[in-house]
Amino acid sequence: MAAKLLAVVLLVSALACKPPSASEQMDSIISWIGTAGMVGEAWLRHTTPDKYTAHTLELAHNSLIDINSGLFKSLPAGIDSAALDSALTRSSAHIGLMQTLVEQKASPDFRTMLDSLYSDEKVVKQFADSVEAKDK
Amino acid sequence: MKKILQLTLGIITSVGGFLEIGSVTTSVQAGAQFGYKLLWPIFFGTICLIFLIEMSGRLAAVSRHTIVDAMRERFGFPFFFVVLVGIAIVAFMVLVAELGGIGFALQILTGIGFPWWALPVSFIVWLLMWKGSFSLIENGASLLGLITISFVVAAIKLHPDWSGVASGLLPTMPQSDKARYGFLTVSILGATISPYLMYFYSSGAIEEKWDRSYIVMNRIIAGFGMFFGGFLAMAVLIAAALVFQPKGIQVDTFPQAALVMVTALPKWGFYLFALSMLFACFGAALEFSLAIAYFFAQGFGWNWSEDLEPSKDSRFAFVYTVIILLAAIPLMLGVDPVKVTMISMALTSATLPLAIVPFLFLMNDPIYLGKYRNGWLSNSIVSIVIVISFVLALISIPLQLIGG
Repeated sequence: MAAKLLAVVLLVSALACKPPSASEQMDSIISWIGTAGMVGEAWLRHTTPDKYTAHTLELAHNSLIDINSGLFKSLPAGIDSAALDSALTRSSAHIGLMQTLVEQKASPDFRTMLDSLYSDEKVVKQFADSVEAKDK
Repeated sequence: MKKILQLTLGIITSVGGFLEIGSVTTSVQAGAQFGYKLLWPIFFGTICLIFLIEMSGRLAAVSRHTIVDAMRERFGFPFFFVVLVGIAIVAFMVLVAELGGIGFALQILTGIGFPWWALPVSFIVWLLMWKGSFSLIENGASLLGLITISFVVAAIKLHPDWSGVASGLLPTMPQSDKARYGFLTVSILGATISPYLMYFYSSGAIEEKWDRSYIVMNRIIAGFGMFFGGFLAMAVLIAAALVFQPKGIQVDTFPQAALVMVTALPKWGFYLFALSMLFACFGAALEFSLAIAYFFAQGFGWNWSEDLEPSKDSRFAFVYTVIILLAAIPLMLGVDPVKVTMISMALTSATLPLAIVPFLFLMNDPIYLGKYRNGWLSNSIVSIVIVISFVLALISIPLQLIGG
């Protein structure tokens, strides 16, 4: 009985310690890019305060950088990691710039940056689909 | 006429006081990740809660005992002490989460980080406890909490697919992310079937001097109040499913959750969310502080009543003073209230057997309830809750590790 219990505890601990898969990390990336897009649209409609918007964009920017740093260790073979890296770097740079533009209250430039982020999002989503297919 | 007013107020306060950081966080996360698929734990948990709350009020009205009084008297102090330790630790964590929820709401409104709000918010909660009466705390906070009805408006304005909503009321298993699905199920049940609500409700019945003439009123308040409250939690999940899931947004942080009403109510959605969280968490922080103080005072046989001067129930006042002060510390240190919420909701599930098993015995004890003892339906529901609570107690910690 004790041995079985120990085995369960070890199994749970092993599962708990397992790092997130590439597919899960791609989901997080899409989630943060989506968040940045959503908060950006709301800010352009003047329905969210500047400080909240800037803080959320900062959160998205930092989260993307964090995820990117661990993603490439777990990418399945056959994914063009250079192209993905470039798309992710672009996305986080755009979100970082959006944060600055909120602080400067520069709405027209913000719109342009947001549209660029949507283009990045499409590319990242294609990569996410490929990673998910390969992970399965 | 007085009873009709009390009844109306009882239902309104039950609705206004239903949502808090636990129910909102779990519902938003569930809707964002699994669409309508996790509506069933809210629905099922609400039905269980209706029965448990009705029983808590009936016990107080008939026996003039709170659950804690009766538990200590019936099972003795050593048993009560075990329950006290389990429940008090988790209730404390929930109080931290509620105070954090207020801080987060103020953070998104003002831009000042939530750790800075920990002390002022805790002080205001403590001051209201010290100076306020039971009816002020129960009715005042819950009436302000009626702003949470805006979640229902948002959900309806998003035009949900009602057949999908209906199918979400039946349990299904997702194709992937099963551990996460299980963890969120446990957390939703922990947020919905809250034993603290039972303790608070039975103590409130004693504070308001309920007697047997309140039995029908108690049944109506528990039934309608909790049903409409559960409906609010479902509205949060539906809105999150329609707003976040299509964009692939997984809600891990409070600032993300704040966008849940922005699509449906573009002009006011953000502020309605912030104010909903502010008032809902404020009401819940007051109720949890009171519930913990009631638990200690009733368990140790001290004087207790929120309507007494603190000098007349000094140990009761001392408990909530210390608890509120201690709860502010992790927040000042920057501990994330959303993480505390998710852990405490799963742990609430884990401690459910401690609260529910002795309750079943009490509700069948002729010494306390005479002819008002539980019938077969109430006993069946509590038995189901007990079986589920044991399963939840076993799986909540592993699911916390894997899926949380």
